[in-house]
Amino acid sequence: MTKTRDSSRGLYWFAFFILMNILFSCQSAKLALSPPPADPHQPYEYFGQKAMVVAAHPLAVEAGLKILKAKGNAVDAAVATAAALNVAEPFASGIGGGGFMIIYLAEQKKITVINFREKAPARFHSRIFTEKGDEASIWRTIKGTAVGVPGALAGWDLALQRYGTKKLAEVLQPAIEIAEHGFSVSKTFSDINKEEYDKILTNAGEKTVYLKDGLPYEPGDFFQNPELAKTFRLIAQKGIKIFYQGEIASQIVKAVQEKDGLMTLEDLANYRATEVEPLKGQYRKREIYTIPPPGSGLHLLQLLNVASFWPLSQWGRTSARYLHHLTEAMRLVFADRETYLGDPDFFPVPSDKLLAFESARFKASLIKPDQVLKEYYFENFNQETNVGNTTHLCVLDEKGNAVALTQSINHFFGSGIVPEGTGFLLNNHMDDFASGDTGPNAPGPGRRPASSMAPLFLFEEGKLKLILGSPGGLRIFPTLAEIIINIIDFGLSLDEAIEAPRFFSYSQNGHIRPLYIEPRFSDEIINQLESFGHKIIQREPYDRYFGGAQGIMIEKRRGLILGGADSRRDGFGQGY
Amino acid sequence: MKSQKMTLLSLIIVSYFLFLSTQPDLPRFWPPALITSGGQNAEVQMVAILAKRINLEHQLNKMATAQDLTNFKSILLVLGASLKGLGAAGLDTNKEMDRVKGLIEAAQQKNIPILCLHLGGEERRGAQSDEFIKAFLPAARMAIVVKAGNKDGLFSKICQEKGILLIEIEKITDALEPLKRAFNI
Repeated sequence: MTKTRDSSRGLYWFAFFILMNILFSCQSAKLALSPPPADPHQPYEYFGQKAMVVAAHPLAVEAGLKILKAKGNAVDAAVATAAALNVAEPFASGIGGGGFMIIYLAEQKKITVINFREKAPARFHSRIFTEKGDEASIWRTIKGTAVGVPGALAGWDLALQRYGTKKLAEVLQPAIEIAEHGFSVSKTFSDINKEEYDKILTNAGEKTVYLKDGLPYEPGDFFQNPELAKTFRLIAQKGIKIFYQGEIASQIVKAVQEKDGLMTLEDLANYRATEVEPLKGQYRKREIYTIPPPGSGLHLLQLLNVASFWPLSQWGRTSARYLHHLTEAMRLVFADRETYLGDPDFFPVPSDKLLAFESARFKASLIKPDQVLKEYYFENFNQETNVGNTTHLCVLDEKGNAVALTQSINHFFGSGIVPEGTGFLLNNHMDDFASGDTGPNAPGPGRRPASSMAPLFLFEEGKLKLILGSPGGLRIFPTLAEIIINIIDFGLSLDEAIEAPRFFSYSQNGHIRPLYIEPRFSDEIINQLESFGHKIIQREPYDRYFGGAQGIMIEKRRGLILGGADSRRDGFGQGY
Repeated sequence: MKSQKMTLLSLIIVSYFLFLSTQPDLPRFWPPALITSGGQNAEVQMVAILAKRINLEHQLNKMATAQDLTNFKSILLVLGASLKGLGAAGLDTNKEMDRVKGLIEAAQQKNIPILCLHLGGEERRGAQSDEFIKAFLPAARMAIVVKAGNKDGLFSKICQEKGILLIEIEKITDALEPLKRAFNI
């Protein structure tokens, strides 16, 4: 009798165990398979257990995953995703532009940065834009002088050679397939195509692939880019030399010079991507690694340093007090950025001093609780200082290696110049040089202009917790700071933090600039901010002006990898 | 067999006339047409491409004034403000309003018909664009509007009040047909 009872109890526990397993698998399956909500702005986390890719287009994510599943590592997949973005989101980045990537190698516990920012041609000089007077903005944005020597391909290749496991030819393959097979144009693509129509028509002409029979693409139209497929195929066969010293180089120089630019074949042949040390900072006991100058990781860390002096979680995410204080901190940090940020190969940037505890405390002490400042001064270190739309992707592989990569051709559709027969757009990143002809960010031969990009890793208790980055021009580092604060201080999930309403301001020559906000704050808060002296400019509720952040969060304890992709663009993620 | 053919032919002819009778009578416009914008938007270039595609004799002049109205028999006025476009042209809203106002007054004196187009959809609405729409749409004989830009019925309301023929289209290329018919091409 006892034996029977024991065996039935055993059977009961066995059945219970099986049932729990089934329930757990169902739960996992539901998590993995539940589709994104119909409203793209509703926070939604992509789910994985081993690896994840998050980027600004589903086809680019698919390209990265394909490489990961073919035993590629995070670097291989990041380059595949970056190349696929050139095809699927051609208005934001590509081989005609440049960027930065930060790489984490889990086994070696090494973090490194690849700088593939564009460089000014050798014939550039400090007065190249100022001498154009009222027409300077045209020469900075849509003439050949707007185009910097592209660095993307050199950067991808350097990363693959040092830290990848696959050849460039292999990781370019998914991009080639997308360019050949084509895809349906999204509303985002169509809207941006319409916004930039004038420039595209002027520089690329009526017959360009970036217009459909001379008119902008409508949502749902089919887009193919056989010329870009041919270009990628050529690079896959002959290596990047064909781009920097071969027939593609000749086409680039021809296109730039036809539009009164100064780039030569030597400029392209001399271009090198570089590997540099990351910049390290802290926020509320978490370590943050990001890119050094000429990127804006330095200013992201500065902003977080100032924010760490305030009890933000007590103030609340939608309080006027929080918005006011962080906005004022942005303006003070921008004053430093305007004064010190440039190409460190030409001007030393006082990163240590700007990241010092005293510097942050000083800034926090300047900010008044209920009034904007009259002027926003940069910090003076008695140092000799005589002297600017984008895309982001994140990859995490099965071994825990990670990449955060931000790349750009600057404005949407870059300069609008397409070298004949190549299918790719050239950047207009020379517009990121300062408007004057002196200072660390003045135009100059071989210089890299200051960048707003700041891809990052956040570590918690020594373990990689967050991979994050965003496009968005000047808004990039304030946006990233807001997302980090949303997660750490306000306890939001990754995608809640990404979708939460954004705000941004800066200072220029010490003067206050308006406070731009997404109109999802209450009238009461807006009235209060106006009473503090902020001029408020309300933009769209989910405005791509504030960037399109992508992130991956690693929840070690729950054994989960979560992806957050910004609905302000066509962000998408997928894990397994 | 012969009578069957006759019946089929009659049916085709009747269907054609039925089709024609369902199409609204369009006001007539004559080439050459001056194409300009109200608000320095990018869509003005698109209208020039559409005109080229239907072989409509035209001239694009983003800064046209009353003095430029010498040889034109119609005006295609593309409505919607673009801050970028205004900046590039070195204009502010007031200067642009004055330019277009002057042009329209001259057109009315010379009895030159105006066809307004709004092709930018929802993205080309908002306070500044609406200022141009409200100021200049009433001067039109006909309007072609991408439906997404008329979600709040602003175009319908003005056109109804002023007796202007309004043609709503789904997308930009759909403007080709009504343009062809308006110019009898």
